[in-house]
Amino acid sequence: MKTVEKEVGAILAGTISSITQRSIFNRLGGLATTPIQQLTPGDRATVLSELENSVRLFARSNSTQLIASIAKALTADGSGTQGMASGGGSAVTALPAPRKLPIEQEKDIATARLEAWSEAVRIGLSKFASVKVATAVSELARNIIFYAGNGTVELRSLKDDRGVIGLQIIATDQGPGIPSSKLDEIWAGTYKSQRGMGKGLVAVKKLVDDFHLDSRLDPGTTVTCVFRGER
Amino acid sequence: MPARISNGGSPSARPRIGGVNVGLVIGAPVEQELPIIQIRNCLLVSIQTELHDRLALDLQDSLMARVRTVNARGVILDVSAVEVIDSYITRILNDIGKSVRFMGAECFIVGIRPAVAMTLIEMGVELDSVHTALNLDLALERLELL
Repeated sequence: MKTVEKEVGAILAGTISSITQRSIFNRLGGLATTPIQQLTPGDRATVLSELENSVRLFARSNSTQLIASIAKALTADGSGTQGMASGGGSAVTALPAPRKLPIEQEKDIATARLEAWSEAVRIGLSKFASVKVATAVSELARNIIFYAGNGTVELRSLKDDRGVIGLQIIATDQGPGIPSSKLDEIWAGTYKSQRGMGKGLVAVKKLVDDFHLDSRLDPGTTVTCVFRGER
Repeated sequence: MPARISNGGSPSARPRIGGVNVGLVIGAPVEQELPIIQIRNCLLVSIQTELHDRLALDLQDSLMARVRTVNARGVILDVSAVEVIDSYITRILNDIGKSVRFMGAECFIVGIRPAVAMTLIEMGVELDSVHTALNLDLALERLELL
């Protein structure tokens, strides 16, 4: 059976590294391992618009040609090319479902940062804003690993009534929490960390549009922050 | 020429594999270690992969050891492929810069991306223990002048 992953992987081989490819296919969820013939026209459009964004983001050259090859491969069974028609500006109409990323070991920090970055690009945040998103997620995930051991980072796409898109990041852990005396030091910029700069939370607060920290000692720490796109 | 150079007891200068003193063995294969290239009396590391924490710490260790064994005058870290630099990585870069300076060499970070630079400014973290240059060529040029 020709699955999406297999066919598209063959096209992307040599252009996009296998690690990046894995992350791209992870975003497709079950659709990545679905045989191409079994895709509904709706699935096909989803897969194509998702892959289009990823290829534009990660391919170093001739992304247009790659996207055309992928579109061709996805419609290889001759069931029409309606997938292609949706290309262009309409990719953001349906908001992607919230994604929860486990943060359990050091390498999850890098994964979370890559995921956040591509999610930001996907919902239409600027390239610069996407780097900020990735940096903030990196700081929050690192705090989880350093101070709580494990936790989760959740990414939620938002759209307000004026159509402004945004990305909400929720970092949660069940760790020891942050005592309020320490929080005062952190916000005053006088906190000295053993391992980092002691500036992670301050940095995140400066990067994001909304910031909320909830740290009672018992249930751990939750940081909620929002990036908004341009109006 | 002595075949072996004493590491002077510095723990960071000891190789991680085997118990042998490998002062003159270059590029001992440790899993997923970043290659350190020597150009004249400078050491160059091009960071092409995702700079995760373990890798960054290992890099600091092996750079220190190499600076000592080859009497390096400068260390150049090329980060042009690094998409995200957060406060922790900044601290490691600063630490590398400081320790290289203590040993009498200078550290250059080259190729910081515009978006990364803007993000670092917005976060209010400083990259103040290293020199920066637009690219490798300019860094080498400035090291010649130092």
